[in-house]
Amino acid sequence: MKDLLDCAMDIGEEMLVSGAEVHRAEDSIRRMCTALGAVRTDIFIIPSSMVASIHTESGECFTQTRRITVSGTNIEKLHRLNDLSRRICNEKLTICDIRAELDDIKKCKNYPLWLEYVAYAVIAGAFTLFFGGDFKEAAVSLLVGILLKFVVMLTDRTMPNKIFAKFICTFLATASAFLAVKIGFIGGVDKVIIGNIMTQIPGIGLTTALRDLFTGDSIAGLLRSIEAVLVALAIAAGYFLCVLTLGGVLS
Amino acid sequence: MTQAEILQIITGFLGSLFFAVLFNVRGKKLIFAALGGFLSWALFVLFKFITPNEAFRYFLVAVLISVYAEILARVLKTPTTTFIISALIPLIPGGSLYYTMSSLLEGSSESFLEKGIYTLELAAALALGIVLTSAVTKMITAAGMRKKEKKAG
Repeated sequence: MKDLLDCAMDIGEEMLVSGAEVHRAEDSIRRMCTALGAVRTDIFIIPSSMVASIHTESGECFTQTRRITVSGTNIEKLHRLNDLSRRICNEKLTICDIRAELDDIKKCKNYPLWLEYVAYAVIAGAFTLFFGGDFKEAAVSLLVGILLKFVVMLTDRTMPNKIFAKFICTFLATASAFLAVKIGFIGGVDKVIIGNIMTQIPGIGLTTALRDLFTGDSIAGLLRSIEAVLVALAIAAGYFLCVLTLGGVLS
Repeated sequence: MTQAEILQIITGFLGSLFFAVLFNVRGKKLIFAALGGFLSWALFVLFKFITPNEAFRYFLVAVLISVYAEILARVLKTPTTTFIISALIPLIPGGSLYYTMSSLLEGSSESFLEKGIYTLELAAALALGIVLTSAVTKMITAAGMRKKEKKAG
């Protein structure tokens, strides 16, 4: 039974890290534990921590907590974890099977790195056009997008503080837009900056926050909302500092 | 439909597609996630014939796209999040958020307030649409489950 709790917690933790709502992670753990023989399961999850206790038929009780420090969005991983948790409930899988499958899911690949660069570039270029920029501005935006992806990667590796990392990223994206204006390639910075902040805006964070908030996980929803607001402020701060310090020099 | 609107629909589709790539959406799901992005802005543009109020159009699109996401999630047996976060990308009010920031910087408090409130309106309409649909879906699935249990019992 101890192994069972460990397994269920592993799956729940991976779900949360891959961008699941709190409700989904709690629900999955509860169903898995019940399917595998727990008579009572109590779970409490917030984005940074998990606690779960199970009672067995023989009257024993096991508890485990997990501290969650990273989070992201990995839909393929989430899809496979969701699938695994459903199969645990419907078919009789052994702990060994589950472990093997979980290890396999953990190795789940991302798209190749070059494609992520392409994605950043196309998103930035596309939204520059979307918000009314011309093709020249979109081209600059594309290049800034590639640079931005590079900076995002560097800050991901070196900076544990996500908020400060966003600040740096926005600062550099804004600075390069000003540089393009200085060279005389484009007339204004706004469309290029709008295209590039689209990849930085915490839209997903806010969506998940609201869904948590309205499904009754108020603490989780509030924590996520606050994080999204802080990230948005960091983006604004990066933009402000750049305009105030370099705006005059470069334009 | 004007030329600018058609360009927006195409670029919105591209934006959704590549955001879905960043979220590691794969296979068939990638196609439907990107298609959702196309639909979301196309619907937004079409709804101008119903109402000129942009916040209300945001709400309508959010409801319809959430329904689209809930249906696909059940057909493809995958979390609803997959389609919601990718398909609603073109509706993120990035432009008005930027102009809110820049008017604060220019020190024009009137335009800052106006644009800030407008941005909040759009975001709230979007959120309301998503949340409403997911609440109604939960009610329906819960009712369906009770029916099943009654039959079994």
